[in-house]
Amino acid sequence: MAEEFEPKIVAFLCKWCSSAGSDLAGVSRMEYPPNVVPIQVMCSGSVSPLYIFSAFNKGADGVLVSGCHPGDCHYIKGNYYARRRIHLVKKLLEFVGLEPERFQMSWVSAAEGTKYTQVIKEFVNELKPLGPQNKLRRNP
Amino acid sequence: MEKILEKRSLQSWMKKLDSWTIYAPRKDGSERWNYGIAQNDSVGLNFTVTTLPAKALVFPQREVFLEFLKTVEESQETLKVNEVIPGKNPVVIFGVRPCDARAVSLLDRVFSGDFVDPYYWARRKQTVLVGLACDTPPWENCFCLSTEGSPHSEEGLDVLLTDLGDKYFVKTLTENGEKLVNLAKGLFKEPRLEDKKKAKAVHAEAEKKIVRRVKRAKKDLAAKLKGLFDSPLWDDESMSCIRCGICTYLCPSCHCFDINDEVDSVSPLRGKRVRTWDNCQFPDFTMHSSGHNPRPDKASRLRQRLFHKFQYFVEIYDKTMCTGCGRCISLCPVGIDIINVLDKVSDHGS
Amino acid sequence: MAKIEDLKEEARKLLREGKIKYVIGYAAGTNGWMASPIFIKKPEDVEKLVWDPTCVHNLSRFLVDEKRRKEREKQPDKRPVGIFVKGCDSRAIVVLLQEKFIDRNDVYILGISCEKGGVVDEHKLARKLEGKKPKKIELGDKGQLVVTTANRKAEFPVEELLAERCLECRANFPVISDIMSGEKIKRTVEKPFGSVEKMERMPKEERWRFWKEQLDKCIRCYACRSVCPMCYCDECVVDSINLAVSADTTAEEKADKVKWIQRSAESSENFVYHFVRAIHLAGRCIDCGECERACPLDIPVRFLNKKLEREAKELFGYEVGFDPAQPSLVSSFRDDDPEDFIR
Repeated sequence: MAEEFEPKIVAFLCKWCSSAGSDLAGVSRMEYPPNVVPIQVMCSGSVSPLYIFSAFNKGADGVLVSGCHPGDCHYIKGNYYARRRIHLVKKLLEFVGLEPERFQMSWVSAAEGTKYTQVIKEFVNELKPLGPQNKLRRNP
Repeated sequence: MEKILEKRSLQSWMKKLDSWTIYAPRKDGSERWNYGIAQNDSVGLNFTVTTLPAKALVFPQREVFLEFLKTVEESQETLKVNEVIPGKNPVVIFGVRPCDARAVSLLDRVFSGDFVDPYYWARRKQTVLVGLACDTPPWENCFCLSTEGSPHSEEGLDVLLTDLGDKYFVKTLTENGEKLVNLAKGLFKEPRLEDKKKAKAVHAEAEKKIVRRVKRAKKDLAAKLKGLFDSPLWDDESMSCIRCGICTYLCPSCHCFDINDEVDSVSPLRGKRVRTWDNCQFPDFTMHSSGHNPRPDKASRLRQRLFHKFQYFVEIYDKTMCTGCGRCISLCPVGIDIINVLDKVSDHGS
Repeated sequence: MAKIEDLKEEARKLLREGKIKYVIGYAAGTNGWMASPIFIKKPEDVEKLVWDPTCVHNLSRFLVDEKRRKEREKQPDKRPVGIFVKGCDSRAIVVLLQEKFIDRNDVYILGISCEKGGVVDEHKLARKLEGKKPKKIELGDKGQLVVTTANRKAEFPVEELLAERCLECRANFPVISDIMSGEKIKRTVEKPFGSVEKMERMPKEERWRFWKEQLDKCIRCYACRSVCPMCYCDECVVDSINLAVSADTTAEEKADKVKWIQRSAESSENFVYHFVRAIHLAGRCIDCGECERACPLDIPVRFLNKKLEREAKELFGYEVGFDPAQPSLVSSFRDDDPEDFIR
């Protein structure tokens, strides 16, 4: 029997919120799919679009950028910059024909362990029917 | 040998060559011609000039030399290296312009000598070039007559076709060429005397139509260049250069390359050693790892392009590394004209 | 069509008085029929300047070179350079000023209004003339393009010959200049994003096939980058010179340097390159279309920029190249920027 496709997600998580949120989910022993490779960043605003393109290039089936809710940025406004920039990246990726579901952004605070597991669960469920991402991948 | 092939039989000839991969010029949705694998639907050789020269098929932009994989088992490291020499894949390229074929023969010189390049030759030996003489210059910037070539040059070709209206005058030039013709013997007819005359007339007529010339000839130009290494001329002429790679990547004879290891995975260490085209117009071409760059500006890079073609190469091979195809002039986004620059070199100080 | 006699006179005067270093303008090219950039240092050479619908180049690209030159020289000549600009080119200068890459005193801007014309598209012209070479192209009195070949004179409506970007242009006269020639006629453009919208209507998979086929052709000559006045980074992510080294940098460190994009002109790498280029020009591209014109393989790279230009306008109300005091697109935000895409 063919094994079910397990998507690989690269998640850029803000150290001050989403990364802490994922830790909370962990220490609270919440269950969620193990499909994520978390990469801690100092701020969602520090995520260069190149990181996202590179993740797809190196074989990610989905990419997530997660930062603090508006108003909560540790650096006051980093997440606002991210919101604009990521929006443009999303539009660009869709424009060349990548499935829009493959690239997501979320606001997850350090207290939202449950929301984090929810975001990942939904993301994985949306990616599964799409199958592997071979469009932008090197050596597919 | 010399033969006649009806134009409508060209397709049948290609069909007979079923043990070869056949490339022919095609328009891929844009206004430009480029080589593509010939499909049944592509008929005729009514192209002007391909944007990428035949070079790109014998010396591809990317070529894998070897694949490597390092594994560790019980603290025992093993490195597997698998050399990738191009395998059997005989190719016929239809519609090679004489200038591009001459350029391939220049590449042949570069990739032989003391270091015979096995990757290049594995491909080259399986490649047969069927040329098409120019009856009219494909564009206004052709200057092959100034580079010891001609619109009907045979150098580097296996077969030369000359367009006689509804038929081709076919001249085989090598054993490989003869083989191609012999595989479809029934399609070819013996030429009549008037066909031969007509082919000659087409050739002569084509030469007349080439208007652009370089003032000085090979040796003379090389000598003149040598004295101008430090001239301010290069600054002036390169002012409008934007440092892109069009003039060199699309040049049929430029052949500089770079070798890189492309690492696909660090643990286990897995990757490929790859040769790619490189380009003297890019800033990192001469960049030292110390950060010093001996060719720091575009003036020195334009100079290098001209010196390599019209000075160094002449010294080494007694040939100009330019076949006058005109691509670098016609495709330059800012209109830098190599003929003009060479003529300014010629006139310099006189 | 605008005449440039008064601009030439001004250029001659400025050069004679030594007020400017040189003038960047257009001269008749040897490359077939197109004009080409020229750098004029002597007043007597001003005669060589031309203005016609083949003056496609965005000369503000050369302001980047001028800045670098000044940085290299020990005692740089700090006089301004004169530069001929069309409407689109002038907006590029606005962006360079906005980003404080150049100073207003670095340039003396000689503006030309395209009025109802623009620049021609080489391929459209080639199709019309069926292989014949144009000798001269002018804008006629009735707003038509008059093309002279060796044996005839033909007239075409501008829509049939102008570059796509000119047909979608919203600034057909310079928005900034020291002296200007021609009238400030505002042209009405019905669909400034028509070509992008057409592509957006394509089904997703068809769009993917389109871009894959196009970007697979890329040979990474970087003409699209090199010709762009906004691509002035000291280090570009695709060049391998962006490796900071010192005497203490070890071979391992050099080898371990992240390589974002491989040199191989393969599909996957080409996509990263073109994505980076597009996103880096978001809110900076003024749609001079030079990237697409320079491409020797006719990859429609302009669409990527145009798409982001449209999104910037629709999502963030941002318009490029009209106001040098405006903060840049990605270093600013509004509290109510849309976030319906965020979970």
